[in-house]
Amino acid sequence: MQAAIGGAALLAGVAAAWLASRSQIEASGPIAAVLALVLGWSFIGSGLVAWRARPENRLGPVMVFIGFAWFATFLADARDPLAFTVGTALENVYLVGFAYLVLAFPSGRLRTRVERFVIGCAIVLATVVEWVWLLFTDSRTIICPVCPRNVFELVRDDALSENLLQGQRVAGILLSLFMLLLLVSRWRQASAPLRHSVAPVLWTGAATFAALAVSVLNDVFQQPLGALPAWVLACLFASIAIAVLAVLLQQRLAHTAVAGLIVEFGRRGQGTDVQEALRDALGDRSLELGYWIPDITRFVRSDGAAIDLPGPRDERVSTVVERDGAPIAALIHDAALRHNVELVESVCAAAGLTLDNERLHAELHAKLAELQASRARLVEATELERRRIERDLHDGTQQRLVSIAMSLGLAESKLARDPAAAAPVVRRARNELMLALEELRSLSQGIHPAILVERGLAAALDELGRRAGLRVRLEISLEERLPDRVEAAAYFLASEALTNAAKHSRAEEARLAAWCDDGTLVVEIEDGGVGGAGPANGTGLRGLADRVEALGGKLTVSSPRGGGTLLRAEIPCG
Amino acid sequence: MRVVVADDAVILREGLMRLLEEAGFEVAGLAADADELYALVERVHPQVAIVDIRMPPTHTDEGLRAAKVIRSRWPETGILVLSQYVRPSYALELLSEGTEGIGYLLKDRVSDLEELSTAVRRIGAGGSVLDPSVVAQLVGRRRAADDPLAELSGRELEVLALMAEGRSNKAIAERLFITEHTVEKRVKSIFATLRLPQSADDHRRVLAVIAYLNSQ
Repeated sequence: MQAAIGGAALLAGVAAAWLASRSQIEASGPIAAVLALVLGWSFIGSGLVAWRARPENRLGPVMVFIGFAWFATFLADARDPLAFTVGTALENVYLVGFAYLVLAFPSGRLRTRVERFVIGCAIVLATVVEWVWLLFTDSRTIICPVCPRNVFELVRDDALSENLLQGQRVAGILLSLFMLLLLVSRWRQASAPLRHSVAPVLWTGAATFAALAVSVLNDVFQQPLGALPAWVLACLFASIAIAVLAVLLQQRLAHTAVAGLIVEFGRRGQGTDVQEALRDALGDRSLELGYWIPDITRFVRSDGAAIDLPGPRDERVSTVVERDGAPIAALIHDAALRHNVELVESVCAAAGLTLDNERLHAELHAKLAELQASRARLVEATELERRRIERDLHDGTQQRLVSIAMSLGLAESKLARDPAAAAPVVRRARNELMLALEELRSLSQGIHPAILVERGLAAALDELGRRAGLRVRLEISLEERLPDRVEAAAYFLASEALTNAAKHSRAEEARLAAWCDDGTLVVEIEDGGVGGAGPANGTGLRGLADRVEALGGKLTVSSPRGGGTLLRAEIPCG
Repeated sequence: MRVVVADDAVILREGLMRLLEEAGFEVAGLAADADELYALVERVHPQVAIVDIRMPPTHTDEGLRAAKVIRSRWPETGILVLSQYVRPSYALELLSEGTEGIGYLLKDRVSDLEELSTAVRRIGAGGSVLDPSVVAQLVGRRRAADDPLAELSGRELEVLALMAEGRSNKAIAERLFITEHTVEKRVKSIFATLRLPQSADDHRRVLAVIAYLNSQ
């Protein structure tokens, strides 16, 4: 197909050159013939190269189209009336292709409504307006004295024809200037990598639009500048094809970076800074690499810190690398690289294995960080607990005992001097002693409930349910004793959860369930209260989760606002 | 003798009040924290303030800090700090303010009315009191083999400990059933063995002994 296009291009070029060299219109001749040839062929040639290199990008076909549309304009130099008329009817079509090329570069797509509107206007000007004009135009009066007959002429109307022509030109000038503005504003908004990749095309395009405006203006005023603007325009126009080709070749060169990357990983092996290698390969110093951690369903940096992917409105975009259908990493990079999807994908493919390795490292880091945090929390919780016990002892039992000692000291003194007065003092001391014993009992119960040791979890939970600050529906089915630490963890979980329910949930009843299921103890505490409990409000839940996780279990909390709270712990006990 | 009591636990400060009154002291007021105590001392100018070491707001060493404040603002008021734990470091911190009219006792001691009233009277008279268990901890610390303390006889160690508790020669003599003269001889020998400068002043020698015990 491409060979056919190439052949057609050769023939069309030769024909155009032959027509140009035989032209009866001034400013044509041998130089015009050579220029015609070079221009057309360079567009078709560049277009074919681009088409082959980037089949998904429309710009290749567009450039081929421009080349043929350019050759078509030389039909206007023919002496045959029909060929002349067709050539004249198509004389501005190549400019539409050109406008599309510059505005859609490098992605091949128009991005904004304004851009689409501008191209729409250009199409209307180059086709509908042109053809309507031909219906009223006598070629010898309006176009040139030696031109062939206009076969499309329907009704001769010189005034209308002249007005349409000038109107078309003015609209063309305005459109050119507007496109110039669009290009300048695009340059100003472009990121550094994007500027780097589009600069040659953008600037040549802008210059061409400026030259086009000047050239048409020259025509409107009966060519005060002579043929010069047309020549400048032709030269700039020719250089666009070369600029596009240069950028495309540059992007092709970037593909060799992929090969470099593979070599790099092979050479450096383990411990390669993947992020740095990817930055080099993609030429984006701001690139960041995140690894997918399935457990926490987030991307993290290589040091284990979480990282967020940019949203649809951000200036940066992300490319997710997958392996066997599951994400392994995400590149967060400049939006300009989006136009080079192929490159990013090949780089990711090349880095795939290394990325997977690094991901495992990052996952390990993240898990380690969580483990350390939970250990620190456990230690802190233990420390807090000890401090609480010390305070309870100091403020309670110890004070009672000191007070008893004082009473006895007083009694001793009274016995010597006034034995009758000693009796009430001794009685007070005995009452104090009773209180001290009671306090000591409840304190040791809090440290480790005796019933848990003596009768096991089922009995302890049963008692817990009876003592709780709200009504508790018990659903306990535990036949055998479980390991001590499992029983203790389950007991304190239930105790804390019921205390929370009584204090915060505003529910009147709670459900406490415990059963063993295939080597796993499941404990559920549920209330129909206000919900909204989470690790964020108070460390109680976090501490309970740590305790359960330390035994290899899992604590899940479901507490939607207004929807009650369900705590479910699963602890292996087999 | 006029005293005031500061303790955040009602049960203890009232118990103490009854005991002190039984022992013949005039309890001029009770305070629940350091600020109340300052106001009380300012108002009644007691001879001795008995202060619990742990009081609001932090429940750590408010009593100790209160003692320092009283020492600097009302130097004529003696201070007895009560604590539920034996902490030599607290005792030394307290004594570093000067040993005149300063005492540090374990709370348990208050059950012995005799001991309590002796201690309060001694502090009121400008003496010092250090709880025997603090002294025992200081004396009982592990020491280097060449420590001169090892050269002291058992009797001398007893005298050293009683000295450290802040007792006078007379009190030591009564306690050990020996003559005051014997005590003087033992004290001289102890100071020579430990290479401490002799001091006739009871207060200074307490400090010297404590500093020695703490430094080795």
